[in-house]
Amino acid sequence: MKTRLRGLLVIAMMASAGCSSKTAVTSSDSDAGQGSSLPGSTSGAGSAASRGYGFDEWQTGPVGDVFFDYDSSILAAEAQQRLTENAAWMKSNSAKQVVIEGHCDDRGTSEYNIALGERRATTAKEFMTRLGVAPSRLETITYGEERPFDKGQNEEAWAKNRRAHFIVK
Amino acid sequence: MITCGMNSRTSKGVIAAVLLLWSLFLSPFFLHAEEQGEYIAIRKQGGGKIALVLDRAAAKGGKESEWAQEFDKTVKEGLGFSNLFSILPPPSNVRAGSDGKAGGVNFGALSSVGAEVYAGGAVSKKGGKVNIDMEVYDTFGTKLLLKKSYSGKEEHLRSLGHAFCADLIELLTGKKSFFGSKIVFISSKTGSKEVYRCDFDGHGVEQVTNFRSISLTPVLSPDGRYLAYTSYTSGRPTLYIRNLQDNKISSVAKNGVSVDPSWRNATELATTLSFEGDQEIYLVRPDGGIVRRLTNSKGIDVSPTFSADGRQMAFVSARNGLPQIFIQDMQSGLTRRLTYSGRYNTQPSWSPAGDKIAYSTWEKTGEINIFVINADGSGLKRLTSGVRENESPSWSPDGSMIVFTSNRQGGKKLYVMSSNGENQRRLLQVDGDQMQPSWSLFR
Repeated sequence: MKTRLRGLLVIAMMASAGCSSKTAVTSSDSDAGQGSSLPGSTSGAGSAASRGYGFDEWQTGPVGDVFFDYDSSILAAEAQQRLTENAAWMKSNSAKQVVIEGHCDDRGTSEYNIALGERRATTAKEFMTRLGVAPSRLETITYGEERPFDKGQNEEAWAKNRRAHFIVK
Repeated sequence: MITCGMNSRTSKGVIAAVLLLWSLFLSPFFLHAEEQGEYIAIRKQGGGKIALVLDRAAAKGGKESEWAQEFDKTVKEGLGFSNLFSILPPPSNVRAGSDGKAGGVNFGALSSVGAEVYAGGAVSKKGGKVNIDMEVYDTFGTKLLLKKSYSGKEEHLRSLGHAFCADLIELLTGKKSFFGSKIVFISSKTGSKEVYRCDFDGHGVEQVTNFRSISLTPVLSPDGRYLAYTSYTSGRPTLYIRNLQDNKISSVAKNGVSVDPSWRNATELATTLSFEGDQEIYLVRPDGGIVRRLTNSKGIDVSPTFSADGRQMAFVSARNGLPQIFIQDMQSGLTRRLTYSGRYNTQPSWSPAGDKIAYSTWEKTGEINIFVINADGSGLKRLTSGVRENESPSWSPDGSMIVFTSNRQGGKKLYVMSSNGENQRRLLQVDGDQMQPSWSLFR
């Protein structure tokens, strides 16, 4: 199950528009993405998918989102790699601050998911702090299941919604 | 501004509670109630439905007839909502006399249709106000059980009807009912999640907040004085406590987030806070001050709910991995695991009328179902099944019913059921999603 999910994930990334690898997303890329994103869109699985997994219309900065397994705030290898890259970017852009939003899929119950979302955000923050980013530059918030990236009721949508989402202030 | 005269201590309690509610939520009005007769509980726990003949109160015509009709409708709906009665049509010759006065009840006719209890009365106009004299008889013993007058302004006829329902149910069951209680909940009707409230039966829906943000988990204090809820108005989920008398709002001035408050009593509530790093449950005062920390375990601790005496707290903890429900003794701090069945048990709600805890289980099938378990871990019972996601159980103040959220017909809507899972039905018709209902303790 987990392996299949990872497979889907990779396929989604490969199928994403453009050829930029996940490490090569620059501010200008994301700015362009912002400009063409659907205004205020909270639904529309299609638009999110076409933008590339992890770089959908909610992605507003050069630091990438990290994703989690079901009911977990544990950082998988991929997530740790992404956070390491994010930390490097933070170090070379020392004036920047980011907000880390914790999100969950909408299965399970909403009160528990608010708490789970916070753990996802703080886990990501703690990882970057250990790599030398000042904690004061990393603000966390949780949305639980309140702001899904994809409202679909399938594993692809749920996987997109289980994330720590980075916004550069 | 409110007058009431009566001579029964029990009735005083009911009326006082009703008056408290009215003084909180409605404009004040005048109530005068008198009664005679004796109160006896003729019902045993677990008995079948009470066969009741409800006779429309006699009226001389005109305005009085309209009042009688509305009172009759309110009482029928109120008693119907309780699911305690089998309401029978009155036999044509039930009143031997036609004067509508006390006496003259044809007990033979009532017995022949199988009625156990007969209720009837007369409506009159007294000093511009509605006056309803009600009588309740035990039809087998041919005994007068209750004789009481309900008086108030025309616009409060519904409350008069519910006052009679409350008296009748307390008389017959020996227990206070839920008439006069409120349900607070979240609705996305306007496009953002706001707090709403309605009467126990879904009537009188009104929007309480208009923050255009995300508001969650509203809960009224046991005395109805405060409304506590979590809201994103500050940008992060924060606990707010609104005094409903002067609308002053307090919050917890700490970093981190707040999740899912619950009242322990009129002066203390508990919520999850994360300002110390890990998510722990804290006891908080209505002014936002922190009394003390209650939990101390790595991992998520959320959704406190208290036993009626406030001595024990059930809550959700992921200390062993997946979320399960635990019970903590408030004095000793000793904690034990309550749920062992199911891998994902959340949203506990402790019955205010007994040591039962309702909660929801996310099952392997993908369904979420509501279960009830005794506080000692025995008597596990599933109340919903086969109808998608059923969540957020909350007990009526008398413990006879549970309000919950279900998406069985599409969107999330509010439903009610008896505490044994019977008679599940929609509570109200409102656009958008409705969720996180909480039934008030006062009535």
